[in-house]
Amino acid sequence: MSMANDDNTPSLSQMSSNIFGDLLDSIIVDVSSECHRIARLGLDRNLEEEEEELRLSTQARARVADPSNNGETNTKSVVDIFGQTPPAVASEIFECMNCGRSTVAGRFAPHLEKCMGKVRKARLKATRSSTASQNRYSRESPVSTYSPYSSSNRIANGGTPVSGEDYRDGSFEEL
Amino acid sequence: MNHHRNNQILLQTCPHLSDFKSKHGTKPFRVLQKCLRVKPLGRAEIRRDPNELRRCISCTTTESSSSTRLRFLACVACAAVSCNSHAAGHAESRESGHEIAVDVDRAELYCCVCRDQVYDREFDGSVVLAQAESSTLGVPNTKNPIESPRKRRRVEYRPWSSDPREQVLMTRGSSPLQSGDGYPWGLRGLNNLGNTCFMNSVLQALLHTPPIRNYFLSDRHNRYVCELKKANNNNTHNNNVVLVNGCNNNQSVRLCLACDMDAMFSAVYSGDRTPYSPAKLLYSWWQHAANLASYEQQDAHEFFISMLDGIHEKVDKDRGKPQSQGNGDCCIAHKVFSGILRSDVTCTACGYTSTTYDPCVDISLDLDPNYGSSTKTSSTKSHHTFNGETADRPQSTLMGCLERFTRPERLGSAEKFFCQQCQIRQESLKQMSLKKLPLVLCFHIKRFEHSNTRKMPMSRKVDRYLQFPFSLDMSSYISSSILRGRFGNRIFAFGGDEKDISPSELPSNFELFALVTHSGKLEAGHYVTYLRLDNQWYKCDDAWITQVNENIVRAAQAYMMFYVQKTLYYKVSENLTTS
Repeated sequence: MSMANDDNTPSLSQMSSNIFGDLLDSIIVDVSSECHRIARLGLDRNLEEEEEELRLSTQARARVADPSNNGETNTKSVVDIFGQTPPAVASEIFECMNCGRSTVAGRFAPHLEKCMGKVRKARLKATRSSTASQNRYSRESPVSTYSPYSSSNRIANGGTPVSGEDYRDGSFEEL
Repeated sequence: MNHHRNNQILLQTCPHLSDFKSKHGTKPFRVLQKCLRVKPLGRAEIRRDPNELRRCISCTTTESSSSTRLRFLACVACAAVSCNSHAAGHAESRESGHEIAVDVDRAELYCCVCRDQVYDREFDGSVVLAQAESSTLGVPNTKNPIESPRKRRRVEYRPWSSDPREQVLMTRGSSPLQSGDGYPWGLRGLNNLGNTCFMNSVLQALLHTPPIRNYFLSDRHNRYVCELKKANNNNTHNNNVVLVNGCNNNQSVRLCLACDMDAMFSAVYSGDRTPYSPAKLLYSWWQHAANLASYEQQDAHEFFISMLDGIHEKVDKDRGKPQSQGNGDCCIAHKVFSGILRSDVTCTACGYTSTTYDPCVDISLDLDPNYGSSTKTSSTKSHHTFNGETADRPQSTLMGCLERFTRPERLGSAEKFFCQQCQIRQESLKQMSLKKLPLVLCFHIKRFEHSNTRKMPMSRKVDRYLQFPFSLDMSSYISSSILRGRFGNRIFAFGGDEKDISPSELPSNFELFALVTHSGKLEAGHYVTYLRLDNQWYKCDDAWITQVNENIVRAAQAYMMFYVQKTLYYKVSENLTTS
């Protein structure tokens, strides 16, 4: 910053610095005026409740992360609150409503897929597009229009199913 | 000093302002209104001559260049302009009547004696009208097209409690419904039928969605007398079924997802605690959503949308005429989940705003895209700070997502919008808000990212933690609040605010009752639902129901969150009558 001249007029850099200062002050007053209005009219929501929720979440995460606390054990081997110990694969047996055969609950879905003859159709349909399913629901819910588990994704990265038989070689029987 | 009851503004003005108004009425404000100048999308200011220079009558020349002068205040009585340092002096130097001034750059009232900004309804009203006129939009609360024709008259909520005589009658004639094992009704595991945890997780949430639960348990859809199934039985061809070779020829097609839900409700609320197999529902759903029917892991959110669609379609067919989903009269699914989104697109050149309304059954939110690139988890770091913010990485929160969802977004120059007023394509701002909140709000967090490169579409899951509250206040995100913010938070009835809403009836307070979480990778993950019943949290992991501490829930990775309007959320009463 250069020194002021001998007369009382401020230097160029001083003037520009003053202008900048005025602009900055003006912006600060804009913001404080808005905040003042919001606070006075009670529009600033329930900050205490929000902060309390944040605090509780933070506390919860700390407690859960603490290994000395009772962590969640693998619930599959644990007794549920009713005193039952359901097996890993659901063992209930009922009749398939499509073909009438007795099926085990835990294997019902793969059975039904074969039994309804859906497999080939489902795979073929999937390669065509996943946008079909997107469009189908976009009219109902314009803000949720994607399909993260589209089968095309699955085929593209060649992922194997989590469990169960693999039908990709097409060597299954249609009922 | 000022009270606020959620959306209602109760204003206490300073005594000088009330004095001034009682003496002069609103005439001075109307005079000011003529000098209001508004730029589209800009601030309202008071200016008589477009080129006038602001000058304080009391400042000397040396003071003019100092920066203690922050505001120019024009006296409402005599229009003399003073800076904030000299404003009080002006009020004192004249006899009474010069206490109120207006900040000319911001159109805000100022009391020179209290030395503080003050607020007035009539003045604000004038400013809003001036702002509206500048964009020739007309008055902001124009009759909105989604005006519910039968606007229900609100009745003041009065809690009821029995008098001694009634209490005697009740205890003598009834016994409280207590489940045999002391656990809440409707708590029952769901068997995994083979990669169906995506379905089980959503079903658990629906089983405990208060209005849906009440609907089915009140026998509003009786599967034994369902008209739709009877109609289907008469059809030889049902185009919803994709079957090969008539596998299904030993029974006629009975396809009604609501009937299957009814059966499930009956089973789950029966008191039997052995895990239930929703096999029939799976079968019906696969017929409804043929393209999703395959034995592989699906997305829970997609299933949710599909189920609502299925319930809607099945019920709607019966009526024969298409119903608007916005008012939720078509089916229970929409009555419960359907809200209305408002989208405003504003021309940045002239301020003209075009508004559209769309129904929605849920809200899908993006996680903050600009999150830090650090790969460290922050779970251990965050407990050092009070509100979960670390120095470099603020926590992702649901309210943060909602703020981003409702913030004005500048549409790029590639997406210029045709402005009706300018008659050319202009750059514009888009802003979303919630016109009507549903009874039950479902939030869906977009944790699955897709990138579509030509060679191989890649997908990955975003595991980042998202903070969410158990009690949620949506009042900042509704259309009236967003509109008000756009007009400088002036006191004005935006969007048809009802001023006489008593606090207990406000529909913008919600309580969390179900949380669907996803763990694991995109292809090989697992869904679990946490339910809040009688203020106790239960973990529903397919067939395994366990009780968990609320900390587990707060720390969980949220995928779908179900909130119900507080007025519909029953709290456990402490004093259950004992026989």
